[in-house]
Amino acid sequence: MAGGQRRNKVLRKNGRSFLYAAWTPYLYIAPALALTVLFSLVSMAISLYVSFHHYDAFAGKSELIGLDNYRRALFSQDSYFPLALKNTTLYVFLSVAGVLTLSLPLALLCNQIRKGQSLFRTLYFLPSITPGVVVALVFFHLFGVWGQLLDHRSTALVALVILGLWSGAGYNMVLFLAGLNEIPGHYYDAAKVDGANEVQQFRHITFPLLRNTLVFVTVMTVIGAYQVFTSVYIMSQGGPERSTEVVAYTIFINAFAVAGQMGYASALAWLLFLAVLVFVIVQMKVFRSRKLYD
Amino acid sequence: MIYWTVDPRKGYGTKVIQRASLKKDSHGEPGARFCGLEKMGNDVKGSKKMVMVGWAMGCSLLFLTVVFRAGMTRDGMDKALSRVAGRQVRPIELRVWDWWSPAGNEEYGAYFEEVKAIFEERNPDIDVVYQFVPFGHYVQKLSTAMVGQRPPDVFQSSVYWAEGFYHRGMLRPLNDLLESQPGEGPTSLGESSFMESAWRHNHTGDGVVYGIPQIIDANCLLWNLDILEEEARKDEMIRDLFVRREDGQIDFDRIRFDGIRDWDHFREIVKRLTRFDERGQVKRAGFIIQAYGGGGGLFSPWLASNGGRYQDSEGREALFHLTEGVQAMTFLVELYWEDKVSFPFRRQLSGTELFVERKAACIAGGTWSGKDIARDTQGWTHMGKTAYPPGPMGKAPSTETWGNMLVISSSCLRVDAAWRYIQFVCGKEGNLLRSKHLGYNGPRLDFYETPAWEKSKEDRPYLSNVKEICLSGIKLRHTEIIASDHQANPIFETILLQYPDIREKKQPYESVRNALEQAAGQVNLVYSRYNLQKDRWLAARGETRS
Repeated sequence: MAGGQRRNKVLRKNGRSFLYAAWTPYLYIAPALALTVLFSLVSMAISLYVSFHHYDAFAGKSELIGLDNYRRALFSQDSYFPLALKNTTLYVFLSVAGVLTLSLPLALLCNQIRKGQSLFRTLYFLPSITPGVVVALVFFHLFGVWGQLLDHRSTALVALVILGLWSGAGYNMVLFLAGLNEIPGHYYDAAKVDGANEVQQFRHITFPLLRNTLVFVTVMTVIGAYQVFTSVYIMSQGGPERSTEVVAYTIFINAFAVAGQMGYASALAWLLFLAVLVFVIVQMKVFRSRKLYD
Repeated sequence: MIYWTVDPRKGYGTKVIQRASLKKDSHGEPGARFCGLEKMGNDVKGSKKMVMVGWAMGCSLLFLTVVFRAGMTRDGMDKALSRVAGRQVRPIELRVWDWWSPAGNEEYGAYFEEVKAIFEERNPDIDVVYQFVPFGHYVQKLSTAMVGQRPPDVFQSSVYWAEGFYHRGMLRPLNDLLESQPGEGPTSLGESSFMESAWRHNHTGDGVVYGIPQIIDANCLLWNLDILEEEARKDEMIRDLFVRREDGQIDFDRIRFDGIRDWDHFREIVKRLTRFDERGQVKRAGFIIQAYGGGGGLFSPWLASNGGRYQDSEGREALFHLTEGVQAMTFLVELYWEDKVSFPFRRQLSGTELFVERKAACIAGGTWSGKDIARDTQGWTHMGKTAYPPGPMGKAPSTETWGNMLVISSSCLRVDAAWRYIQFVCGKEGNLLRSKHLGYNGPRLDFYETPAWEKSKEDRPYLSNVKEICLSGIKLRHTEIIASDHQANPIFETILLQYPDIREKKQPYESVRNALEQAAGQVNLVYSRYNLQKDRWLAARGETRS
């Protein structure tokens, strides 16, 4: 405290230093901030504006129509938003369940390996850096051999989830591994001394102390899964019989394949944003971190 | 660089990465020394400088290359170099967009190269600059270019978008240019120079022409003549499909345009061509029916051959749910579910692959398919093409046709140059160049009178019926195709996939008619929104609907 006051006095004596000290952090973050504001916040603001208008992207002209686009998305006869949201939410649940049952065990297994851990980490991470279009095209043909999952309305969405899990398992595994490495080893030593078996160690040490990683992975999976698009666009185009019609695909079709529907597509995008927001807020509330052990 | 050093504290050699100028070890203590490399110290410094100079030169070269070849500076640089070299600088730059791209097919490269060479030779004031935009991104890129005041001068427009582009005000009406050059001839671009079926998508109901046909395409049936020839030797009905030469001999390279009399005849033929294995599974399909994705594309030529239409000419109402459409859809689903002439529905099923593997006798293709198949099979051309045979309400073989066109953007400032380019490319000579390089038949009538076309038919007999097919077709659906397909195709898909349930009046639809009516209702919503949008565009330009 005293040091801080002394420092402030020095700064006040020298106005130039004060200015320098005051502005330097902002200058450091300015490029990233400018990009974020320009390409995220401004775009979002424009999108919100557009969603209340009948907007023609080509003409750049708009006509205020209030909540009509939202009303149409939710209640119109030819709106597929409710169906798409239902499909997407199912996809999200399956993805989150898949991540927890695939990536976490993989991380636990990988964490136990003494030699070659980095090799496995790299191998499992590779799908994450493989372009989505390439992966989708390969899986499109693989699913033709593996039981024709894409051909049936009851299995097509599951096929897309499998693809998503394969692509994201390694990435999430690395996140879990980082979380596991942060857990102090002496907790396990103490537990072993107390006679805890491996399941009890996982139940009472690993799982609680992975809570923050778990929340992060789940939130990111939810956000990513709600935006699923590439696999749908390449593999199923929303079919068969609209069983894989997801919100991002519906937005894309309306924004870029139908004349003058950019406002409607923007409204769909904001409805998706609201759905994701609600989902994430509930998640954060449920999984809110508590300090368990000192 | 890697050197071996001796650490006096460790007493053994250690492999370290060390800068050549280092005289001390990594601990900053004297004693570490290069083993046998001291003499090379100065040489190493010299070579390091050389490496740095090399890097600097390489980076400079890369930078200059980028500056020279980058889109923003290339033109200026090229012109500057031309001036320095004393070459003539072309004052007019004509930017042409196309989705045909040399990147995907070297034949397109050869085609564009020759078009550019001939055109620029005849028009020394014009520099043609091609820009290739993928088909799937065309609308977005074009809209962005228009809004950004940097549209192409000329571009190829698919019939998928042409009508919408015009109503948005993106295309320049061409009537004044056409009227300025009346008459007939190889460069005449008037309506009378083209097949009627090519001159359908390029103008409004009140006669405003916004594009000149560059190609003519039509859906058609593709027949594997290897299979047909084999079957014809023992089956009179199949034998009768082939053309007979003047001496009465069968020409096994050519199928008759009107060989298939009607749907019943077609059904009988494809049933005879279908083969089953001992387990009753199809091992060779008489005809491939695909359920996934391409509903409208598969169904609408059959609808046309039954005298029906997908939509009205104004784009206000879907018509495919009427009796002609119900019959067409029922015919297709019964071919699949009752006659079992096709392989089971599979998303990965590729009709063309099965066709060239001789596992399918007939597939739905297009007049363009032959050249693609010949290229992909390295020269196999033993196939034939026919229009779709007439259904119970149809009068003659028919199909759907369309003519993608060259258009001039509404903000083009070099209209004269653009028109000269279109005259060349859409004229007789351009048609022949596309035939030569790309294997396309042309939309112009005079194209079919040339020796080059006769030679093409001799070399590739599968082209024999192409002109008749193109002439027989009706206009392809043309209003908001992607949006209407997004509404209707999943319902077509459901009919094909769940016909047995629909036939039993279970679910999800009471009947084929009921399903088609629901699809038409959805498509009508698309049309009504589009027409509202069209009124807005017209109102913005101070026009009203004619």
